[in-house]
Amino acid sequence: MPPPAAMHFFDELLDEQGRPRPHATELIAGLQALGPEQLVAAGRRRDAIFLQQGITFDATGGAEGGARERPFPLDLVPRILPGEEWRTIKRGLAQRIRALNSFVDDVYHGREIVHAGEVPWSLIVSRASFARAVHGIRPPGGVYCHVSGCDLVRDADGSWKVLEDNVRTPSGISYVLENRVAMTRLVPQLFAHYRVRPVDHYPALLLSALREVAPIADGDPTVVVWTPGRLNAAYFEHAFLARQMGVELVEASDLVVRDDVCFMRTTQGLARVHAIYRRLDDDFIDPLEFRADSLLGVPGLVRAYRAGTVAIANAIGTGVADDKAVYHYVPAMIRYYLGEEPILENVPTYLLEDPEQRSAVLARLDQVVVKPTSESGGMGVFIGPRASDRQLAEQAALIEREPSRWIAQELVRLSTVPSVTSDGTLSPRHVDLRPFGVFGDDINIVPGALTRVALVEGSMIVNSSQGGGSKDTWVLEDGDGGGGEGERERSQPALPTLPDLRQAGWSGQVQQQQQAHAGASTRVPARGSTGDAGAGFK
Amino acid sequence: MLARIARELYWVGRYLARAEHTARMLDGVFQADLQGRPEAGGVLLSWEALLTIMGAGRAVDGEHPGWDGLAAQGVDGRDEALDVLTLDRGQGASVITCVERAREGAAAVRDVISAEMWEAVNTFALTLRAGDLSARMRTGPYSVYQHVKERCALFWGLADRTMLRDDAQAFLLAGDRIESADMMLRMLRVALPPVADEADEADVAAPLLDGHALALLQAVGGYQAYRRAVVAPPNAGPVARFLLFDRGYPNSVASSVEMVHDSLVVADADPRRSPPVLRLSRLSADLDFRHRAGMPDGELVAMFEFVQDELAQVDADVAERYFAGAAGAARGR
Repeated sequence: MPPPAAMHFFDELLDEQGRPRPHATELIAGLQALGPEQLVAAGRRRDAIFLQQGITFDATGGAEGGARERPFPLDLVPRILPGEEWRTIKRGLAQRIRALNSFVDDVYHGREIVHAGEVPWSLIVSRASFARAVHGIRPPGGVYCHVSGCDLVRDADGSWKVLEDNVRTPSGISYVLENRVAMTRLVPQLFAHYRVRPVDHYPALLLSALREVAPIADGDPTVVVWTPGRLNAAYFEHAFLARQMGVELVEASDLVVRDDVCFMRTTQGLARVHAIYRRLDDDFIDPLEFRADSLLGVPGLVRAYRAGTVAIANAIGTGVADDKAVYHYVPAMIRYYLGEEPILENVPTYLLEDPEQRSAVLARLDQVVVKPTSESGGMGVFIGPRASDRQLAEQAALIEREPSRWIAQELVRLSTVPSVTSDGTLSPRHVDLRPFGVFGDDINIVPGALTRVALVEGSMIVNSSQGGGSKDTWVLEDGDGGGGEGERERSQPALPTLPDLRQAGWSGQVQQQQQAHAGASTRVPARGSTGDAGAGFK
Repeated sequence: MLARIARELYWVGRYLARAEHTARMLDGVFQADLQGRPEAGGVLLSWEALLTIMGAGRAVDGEHPGWDGLAAQGVDGRDEALDVLTLDRGQGASVITCVERAREGAAAVRDVISAEMWEAVNTFALTLRAGDLSARMRTGPYSVYQHVKERCALFWGLADRTMLRDDAQAFLLAGDRIESADMMLRMLRVALPPVADEADEADVAAPLLDGHALALLQAVGGYQAYRRAVVAPPNAGPVARFLLFDRGYPNSVASSVEMVHDSLVVADADPRRSPPVLRLSRLSADLDFRHRAGMPDGELVAMFEFVQDELAQVDADVAERYFAGAAGAARGR
């Protein structure tokens, strides 16, 4: 293993000399106390528990070529974010989400940002995710991006940058919650010197956000989670969220629209649905408005949405804000809508549609990363420095043929965190960070995140569909809001005085002891006839 | 049936229910304790509080001096508390003591319960004795508590499948349910204590109690049931009402009271004149009535205490009416 210093990556737990950073001292000591054997043993217990609970991921590439179920790969070394650092991330993300939300509202209404000359209209309308069908529709509270999961990375100098926005149907939150539970069960020792902020209130946050946007005057709104079906790679998460929120998990065939109102089919007839947390793309949502061949959609849903009888989260058409080509303009959006300077930077990005930028990029294609604008999950990503000459030539031809399909970004040297290898030793692996935000009345960023980790040494591909794993992410309490510990201790309510636990008293131990002490000479009343049973297993 | 046998069965039920609830509670608090305690949704359930729930420290017999106060603070204090409530054979409240006593009791009634039930509880105690339990507690208490939960579930599953539904089973179930109700009330009373200072209530106490309520709900395994049955977020008031009143949830106090009642009706020769049955009928109706009438959060604490006192009376009534002969013989010793 080459020392981290020689590779010029930023390691989050160890400094340039390989010594633990201040916030990681106790963690590293705890890992050393465990040692390789115990880490390997904990890894085996983890796989057994995950398989037993069905926390699995379908990885392609099994021997038979089909998808194979394997336990979700959780690395046992947590990633630590000190409170101070988290505060910057939290503020930066809230700012960004607010701007993206304003942008979606603007695109489907006044288009002021276009008139102001900040974002070209031709770029917006040419996006596949631009949804003409929802022009002029403003959902309750003006919230479009109810759930967001932007991807952040940390560059070689330790600075945080936004790599991608995701305000369609970001997934991964279930792993954040399950990872935390698993870590407390598998390696409770590591938590000893840290005060880690809990993450398990996420389902409650999401449910209250959905209830807040549900169009209902009085009474309780019905909220559902809509999954494409159990073959979806994220089905585990859909079921997890429905279970945690205590709401129905529906598929398209469970929903029906009558007279612009959405219902679900129940054993007692049709029941009105007020808010839908949908986990499928716009394209499939309603065959009458989007793809006519979609079997996963509910005919008439957009009509009901337009009539304002059902809330859909995230709103239809939000994809226009997290498009990889629109990403370039997000800092401009923040300045335009909020009048603030962006707290989190973008990774330098080049639009290949622009002839000047394109020729500059093509000249140094071996140094940049090229991404298709409309794909997700790391599909079709081209990494210049890793490509052969032939691959470089092919990619150049692809770009020339259809420049608007591609963007180029500077290569980010992702930070590393030590991770457990198969023999139980630690070795640095590249990571990214996906925090989750919920936008209801206000924006809440859950104090934790999905840290995805490339399990292959040197690799920077962290997507779980391509062999990536994950880490539990600890946001520490220090310096992040809240009063001091002392204050809270003082105000803790006094404990009540409870009655003694009742005991069988006369039977059991007391008698057996008496029997044992007294021997056969003493008569023991009440127990005499069965005394042998008691003595039999002393 | 023999009063002595009935009493053994009743206490086998009580001890197994106590072992299971203790394991659930320790597992839940342990997990909550590992994470922080932020402004909202945090948990401050201290280990001292747990020892209060269990009334630990009171020696069961003269041999063990008992235990008074945590010697250490922080992580060591936590480990000590876990050890006291799980492994300490001198503690009447510890999991291992409960299981050993359930086994002793089961041995005394082997001819009444089914062979499979006896084997389940016997293996349970033997596996807890075998191996280095302290080491398992160090590497992860989860595996120990999971084992306790599974073994208890196995015993009750076998009781349901293999035991004759006679008065013997009725006493076994009555013990199980009265202990479940008592443990639930203990946990509720410690997790949601009365708030003394009015000013505290809004800003500090309320989020704290809400955090306790959520931890308690998860510890007893009732989170999903709550989510499906109740619309309100899992905050202190609604959770307390759910765990106290909701008949749809099998481990609620009201469900347990109802099942103790039903069991004693089966076992009693003349239930309409039986003090424990009458007292349980009244308590059951009272719980339903208060639930229907709506109970303000402020009155819940007093309700916990009232119900727990009533159940203590029921326990005394049960001993008096059914076990009096056996107890008299013991007292005469």
